[in-house]
Amino acid sequence: MKVQVLQENLHRGLSIVGRAVATRTTLPITANVLLATERGLLKLAATDLEITIRTWIGARIDEPGATTVPARLITDFISSLPPATVVLEVPERGRQVKLECARNESTINSMDAEDFPHLATIDEGASIALDPKALKRAIERVEFAAASDESRPVLTGIEVKTEGTRLTFAAADGFRLAVSDITLPEPPAEALAAIVPARAMREVARLVGESTEPVTMRLNPGRTQVMFTMGDPEIQLVTQLIQGTFPNYTQLIPGEWNTRCVVSVDEFKREVRIAAIFARDGSGIVRLQIQPGAGMPGKLTINARADEIGENQGEIDARVEGDAGRIAFNSRYLQDVLNVLSGDVALEMTTPSNQGVLRPVSESDYVHVVMPMFVQW
Amino acid sequence: MAAPSILHVDLDAFFVSMELLRRPELRGLPVVVAGGLGARGVVNTCSYEARRFGVRSAMPVSQARRLCPSAVFLESDYSFYGPASRQFHAILRDFTPRVEPAGADEAYLDVSGSERLFGDGPAIARDIRARVKAEAGITASVGVATNKLVAKVASDAAKPDGLLIVPAGQEADFLAPRPLRDLPMVGPKTATVLAGLGVRSIGDLQRIPVHALQARFGRHGAELHARAMGIHNAPVLAGRAEAKSISRETTFDADEPAEERLRVVLRRQAERVAADLARHERSARTVTLKLRFPPFETLTRSWTPGAPVEVAAEIFSAASAMFDRAWAENSHRPVRLLGLGVTNLQERAHQLRFGEPGGHGQLDSAVSTLRERFGETAVLRAAELFRPKRPGQQLTTPPAAAHDQIDLEGFDWA
Repeated sequence: MKVQVLQENLHRGLSIVGRAVATRTTLPITANVLLATERGLLKLAATDLEITIRTWIGARIDEPGATTVPARLITDFISSLPPATVVLEVPERGRQVKLECARNESTINSMDAEDFPHLATIDEGASIALDPKALKRAIERVEFAAASDESRPVLTGIEVKTEGTRLTFAAADGFRLAVSDITLPEPPAEALAAIVPARAMREVARLVGESTEPVTMRLNPGRTQVMFTMGDPEIQLVTQLIQGTFPNYTQLIPGEWNTRCVVSVDEFKREVRIAAIFARDGSGIVRLQIQPGAGMPGKLTINARADEIGENQGEIDARVEGDAGRIAFNSRYLQDVLNVLSGDVALEMTTPSNQGVLRPVSESDYVHVVMPMFVQW
Repeated sequence: MAAPSILHVDLDAFFVSMELLRRPELRGLPVVVAGGLGARGVVNTCSYEARRFGVRSAMPVSQARRLCPSAVFLESDYSFYGPASRQFHAILRDFTPRVEPAGADEAYLDVSGSERLFGDGPAIARDIRARVKAEAGITASVGVATNKLVAKVASDAAKPDGLLIVPAGQEADFLAPRPLRDLPMVGPKTATVLAGLGVRSIGDLQRIPVHALQARFGRHGAELHARAMGIHNAPVLAGRAEAKSISRETTFDADEPAEERLRVVLRRQAERVAADLARHERSARTVTLKLRFPPFETLTRSWTPGAPVEVAAEIFSAASAMFDRAWAENSHRPVRLLGLGVTNLQERAHQLRFGEPGGHGQLDSAVSTLRERFGETAVLRAAELFRPKRPGQQLTTPPAAAHDQIDLEGFDWA
């Protein structure tokens, strides 16, 4: 095998597939990246057996072939090279890859590409085409609500489901729920429903980046895997789906409220961030008090206190409907949701021990439900 | 109308009374207890004999010496007063869990709800006075009224060794003849301004229209008027004194070899610690286990679980895991003392889950309510019933825990 590639291309390719490289593994070859000639290009691929990422970069192929090299080593090495042509060569039945760039030369011990896990690809099955910006936005607005502990595996995933022209992304961890919709130009030929690991979805959002190429999402006929195809040059991400039933979350979204207040996301975010500094030593408790204003704008008061440290109170203008209300939240949960919103947000609540609901005021495609903290007022 | 049920209980000249217990020869003399007798000393408490000379608490010792040169001056000895203070508060908690300590020597009680067990407010006030005298050897004065403000003024008026009951509806009449300085929260500044308006008694203040007070004192004016009328709605806040740690220890009469019994004791301790935590409205980040083997070999183990603990089951499971390990490491030797404590206390709060049943802590609070009303053995876990030694023999309840020590470190007194 002998190929010539530009250092920049190889570097970019390695950073694309790098996130799928296994970090702790009992199968040593999964810590390697696969380099293979294919489609007249150089294919790069990595897998941790749950997520597989592959991409193709332009290369001059002098002699086709395939090999695998330790991902960490080659990534660090290539990223340090000057922007010049890299010549990559594996002698017949060789156990080492020879790399030359400018006046630098090295050899890296390789492992046989034959031993690399077979990487799934999905050529048939239900698929939909998605706008990359809308997809990225939807993922970023829900992924933080997915559970990070594995006690209920379905909650570590994001549920992706179509209903007519609506594609809904939902994540919940038992304390909070985030639901974001995308409207499709037309209903998909076949209805889709899958629970995709949140980690894979975060990678999809990262890989989409600033790309304007449509993203294709395709489920395999057995509905055990999903493949996202995106970008130019093409990137594919394949992941195992989480099996199980996602909780019926519609019942968690309260239909009514006693108190509703509309505030600026930026102001709210700022005051919560300040309060969080004071809440750090407690349980991160931030207390919110909503005061309707008689004739004047109402206000939202954000308060945090910690024994032996002190207390902080901030106040922002709010358009309040309904009764006065008070409710306490974990500051991190509030920050997580405010970080993905902009403009004005409505906070709706019924009692201090029932769900709080946050909705962006000018968009109807997102809702976030968060359970409060039970505190002594 | 129902009898008033808010009590203010105040030990009479507490530090002096304590000193008189160990120096009875000073009875009848002017006695001043001060925090230091040097140039910077300040009077903590003085006997009623010294008060006649104009000595007051918070007065510099030098001034007290000028007013009453013949007085006996003693330096305060907190280590001697502490146990009596705790004994005093323990007596109060026998009548109701709703006790708001206001210092080492005074507290507010809300005894509504205790009537069926102990009688109405005045009856409880009489019992408390009798028990404090019998058990601590010192006297307490009690004011009984419909709110904390009037109860406080009443106990001050009852001093020393007195009881004063202000029936519902007579608050304003009771306050009217009293001098203005008896009204709590009238500071020297306000008093001066009011004196300028010709106000000498609380009754004078009652006669000033609210709007006039508001014009002069702003928002504070309405409050001032309400207080003068004896209107005050602040609730009795149980457990306001903030503990830094809560623990229970049990010393066994004979070194205990049986795991089953040790575990029963540990569970009971967890329940009591949880009850105290609930009373103080705190949760704990750290659970500590203490084991002592004969003769005096003591080891402690601490664990800080991910989430703070507050209910008995959580505390027990943390303690139990530490106990298993520590006891195994010590070859399951008989245990002389077993202790369980919690530290790193923080605000009681927990993150609610979707569809969370409201059951968190409900078992604990139901059990501790029953125990407060009907005694410690009113509700027991089946595991606490010791297995009969012979078939056919009755199950027996555990003996009363005579060796349990209550330890509220950092108890906010003095």
